[in-house]
Amino acid sequence: MNIEEYISSGVLEAYAAGILSDLERKEVEDTLVQYPALRTELLAIEQSQEKFLQKVAITPHGSVKEKLFASLDNRDAGAKSIPLATHTNNSLIWKYAVAASLSLAVVTSYLAYSYRERWITSVISLNNLIAQNQQIAQDYNVVNNRINQIEKDVQVLNDPSFQRVVMAGTANAPEAKAFVYWNEESKEVYLSLQSMRELSQENQYQLWAIVDGKPVDAGVFDSNLAGLLKMKDIGKGAGAFAVTIEPRGGKTSPTLETMQVVGTVVKG
Amino acid sequence: MYGVIHRILLNERIAEEVLQDVFIKIWDKIDSYDATKGKLFTWMLNIARNQAIDKTRSREISKEKKTKGIDLHVNRIDRSEYVEQKIEGIGVHEVLKSLPEEQRFVVEHLYFKGYTQSELADESGIPLGTVKTRLRAAMQQLRIVVGTS
Repeated sequence: MNIEEYISSGVLEAYAAGILSDLERKEVEDTLVQYPALRTELLAIEQSQEKFLQKVAITPHGSVKEKLFASLDNRDAGAKSIPLATHTNNSLIWKYAVAASLSLAVVTSYLAYSYRERWITSVISLNNLIAQNQQIAQDYNVVNNRINQIEKDVQVLNDPSFQRVVMAGTANAPEAKAFVYWNEESKEVYLSLQSMRELSQENQYQLWAIVDGKPVDAGVFDSNLAGLLKMKDIGKGAGAFAVTIEPRGGKTSPTLETMQVVGTVVKG
Repeated sequence: MYGVIHRILLNERIAEEVLQDVFIKIWDKIDSYDATKGKLFTWMLNIARNQAIDKTRSREISKEKKTKGIDLHVNRIDRSEYVEQKIEGIGVHEVLKSLPEEQRFVVEHLYFKGYTQSELADESGIPLGTVKTRLRAAMQQLRIVVGTS
C-alpha cells in the first residue's frame, strides 16, 4: 500500500472527524496498526483538528458545569454508597472488635491478678492447715500412745494376778510414795510413782527386790515417770521392794543410806 | 465540544442537556478508551458528535435543517443564536473564511451539522473520495490558520 496515497486520500481526516462508516473506521484502525507511520500523520491531523475546534469553541453556561457535577455526584453517591457504607460498617465492626478485645484483655488481666492473689492466700492457708493438721496428728499420736499406755496400765491394775506393793517413804524422804505391781507367775514388775522428789542429772532411782533377804536389781528410772513403768522381771520369792538413789545407770548393789521408799510384799 | 454539539443541535437548552449526557458517557466509558485508536480528544469528540446526532434524529429535527441553505445556516449560527460566541470565541465563519467555498462547505457540514461523509455525498452529489480530499485540504489550510505549534 502506498502510504503517501493513503494519507492524501483524506481518509485519516475523515477518521479523526468521526464521519466514516463503521466499516471504513474499522479498516482505518487496522491500517493504523500495520503502518506506524500513519499514526504520526493521524496525530498531526488530530492536533490541528483539536486546535481548530477549540478556536471555534463555545463556552457553555456555568450552570451546565454545576448540573454536570451535581449529576456525577449523584451517580457517584448512588454507585458508591453501598461499598462506602460497607466500608464504614466494616471499620465500625473492626472498631467494635478491637474495643471488645481490649476490654476482654483488661478484664481478663484483672481477673488473673485477682485470682493469683487469692491463689497465693489459699496456698498460705493450705500450708498453715497442713502444719496444723500434722500438729494435731502428732498430738493425737501422743494422746493415743498415752491412752494405750493407760489401757495397758489399767489392765495391769485390774489384773488380779498382780500384787500391789505399797512403798512408803523412809526417814530420808517421809513424803515419798510409790507402788510396785508384781505378777509372781509371769515375773512382770511394774512401777508407779506417787510422789518422788526430782534428782540431778547424775543420779537415777534404782528399784530393788529383796529376794530371800538379798537385794536384786530391778532396773533404774527417772523421777519424772508417769503411769506404769515396766521393770526387770522378778521371780518368786521377793519379800520386799525398795528404791535407792544411785549414780546414773545404777549399781550392782544398793546404797542403803540413800533408800527413799520401801514396802513389803503382803502375801495373800 | 460544546461548540460542536451546539452547532449540530442549534438549541442552547438541548445542547446543554446533550453536553451533560456526553460528559456522563465519557465518565462511564473512560475504561473503554483505546489510546492506539487516537487521541483522547478525538475519542471524546466522537462521543459528543454521535450523541448530538442521536439527539437530532430522535427529535426528528435533522432533516429540515440539513436541507436549508448553507449560507443561511452559517449566518444563523453566527448572528442569531450564538451570542456567547461573539464574546468568548472566534466565530466559525471567521476561521473558515480563508477556505475556498467548497472546502468550507465540507467542513461546516461534517463538523457542525452532523453529516457523515456518505450523507454529505448523497445530499450534495459530491463523490465520497472528493469529500475526503476536500476535508484534507481544508484541514491542512486550517492547520496554518490556527497554528500547529
